[in-house]
Order: sequence, then structure tokens, then C-alpha cells
Amino acid sequence: MTDGGGALVITTRERARDLARVPIVVLGVAETHTHQIISQMPDLTVTGAAATGPRAFAMAGLGPGDIDVAEIYDSFTITVLLTLEDLGFCTKGEGGAFVAKQRTAPGGDFPLNTQGGGLSYCHPGVFGIFTVIEAVRQLRGEGGTRQVADASVALCHGTGGVLSSSGTAILGRL
Amino acid sequence: MALARPLPTPDHESAEFWRRVGAHALAVQRCGACGTVRFYPRALCPECLNDQPDWVPVSGRGTLYSFTVCYRPASEAFADRTPYIVALVDLAEGVRLLANLVDCTPEQARVGMPVTLAYDDAAPGATLYVFRPEAGAA
Repeated sequence: MTDGGGALVITTRERARDLARVPIVVLGVAETHTHQIISQMPDLTVTGAAATGPRAFAMAGLGPGDIDVAEIYDSFTITVLLTLEDLGFCTKGEGGAFVAKQRTAPGGDFPLNTQGGGLSYCHPGVFGIFTVIEAVRQLRGEGGTRQVADASVALCHGTGGVLSSSGTAILGRL
Repeated sequence: MALARPLPTPDHESAEFWRRVGAHALAVQRCGACGTVRFYPRALCPECLNDQPDWVPVSGRGTLYSFTVCYRPASEAFADRTPYIVALVDLAEGVRLLANLVDCTPEQARVGMPVTLAYDDAAPGATLYVFRPEAGAA
């Protein structure tokens, strides 16, 4: 058994300009924590993404309609549906319909979890960093056969604890 | 041999709570400084970190916030109890408790139904709190 691993190199914009690899910029980021144990979750249908999404979008000066590719932590099916709703990609209760009809499949209208997500790619404890790594690969055009055409803005969202901690990052090209 | 039903294991933060449950008088903590009522029991107020809570007896009246019906037992210890209902109940005092909803069939349970607190003396020295539908509600 392994908890997996991943790494990101983070530096300044100035330093990044000289690097050989295509630099990717953090446009907006937000984190929150809502409860300690699941029975104390304030609302079973609302995650911390309802707080972190608007803050990250505000920092980036962008909205859900600006996102070309979304990488959303998928511990359970409902995690993704609630997160999509809370981030504002659709209204509360519409998450199921939003992902129906193959909209999130390869080539679909809404590129989501393009590396396969935790279900199809891998699911170690640290899956959150893989959302960022995949977003960077997509923004660099390194996605190979799964590359989303013209991806210039990506959203990553990690959920931790017992649906209790949330982090949203919006990434773009320099 | 059948697996024993798990029972509360009071610790320094919850001993007073379980003592009161054992006396069939469930109470929740209210911060002695800012007045925030909290559940589950813990040493510090999550709002202001004060460590001198008062204990407030509850009315026992609540509403069913959400529930799930377990047709497959969470462990062998619950095998003879299926189907059983695991419920989240909002007490009138403003806190939410996780407990079994008893004397209620899965078909009778519905979100928002009024429930009342009851006690299950599960073993000597180990009392559980449960909820049952308010008379006429189920």
C-alpha cells in the first residue's frame, strides 16, 4: 500500500519566465474548513467549495464560464456533483443533470478529471496534488491523447477530511 | 460467538455527558463566556476557546434532519438489528445529534418529522440516547 506522491515546483513569475518548461500561473486560490466530524457538517448538501469557489474566482477575476478544464477531487460520486454545484458550474440540485449525456466524457462539452479521476487513474491519499499536476499538463499542452483543445484556464479543487476541508485553485498560462 | 455491540467509551471530555445520559438526562455544553451551545462534548468552545462550559438539560424535542437506512449492518454486531435507521436530529436547543431512530419503520421515516429523545440502557453502566417519532408523527 502506498500514499502515492507528486511534486510541484513553485517560483516567482520573474524566475519562471527564464525556465525551459512552460510556466503556469496561480490566478486564484482559496481554502476553508467547515467541520470536524461528518455528523456536524452544517448542510449535507453544501461543501466548503461554496466558500472557496467564489473567493478563488474573485481573486482570479474570472467565473465558472471561463474554465476550460476542471480537475475535481472525486472521493465519491456525490463529491463531484456537490462540488460542481458549489463552485457555480450549475445550480444546487442540478449536478446530476450537468454531468449526464456524456458531457464529461473525453471530447464532451465539459472536460472534467481528464486523467481519469480517482476512479480510473489512481486514488492514493494525496490525490489532491494530482488535480494540480493534471491541470498543469493540460495548460502546457502536454495532455497527449487526452489533451483539451486550447485549454488556457483550469480549475483544481481538493476536498479533504470528511467533506470538511476544501481548496480551490485556478490556474492559467503566463 | 456473536460480536458484542460497541458501547460508549467515555473520556475526559465526554465523561460528564455520558454520566448525564446514564441518568436519562441528556445535557449539552453551553460556553460559560460566549454562550454558544455545542455538541459533541469537548473541552474548549469552538467559537471563543473558553474552557468553562455549563451543562444545559435539553427538552428532548427535535426534528429529523436526515437519515439513512442500514439494510446491511455496519458490523456483525448490528446484524440482528437490520434494517435500522441512523439519523441526524436537530434538537430544539440548536445542536445536531447522530443517533438511531427507533420504533420507526424505514417507510415511516421522513426528513423534518418531529422526534423525541429516549434512552436505551444497553448494558450496565452504558446508556445510549436514541430518538423515536413524536406521538402521532409516524
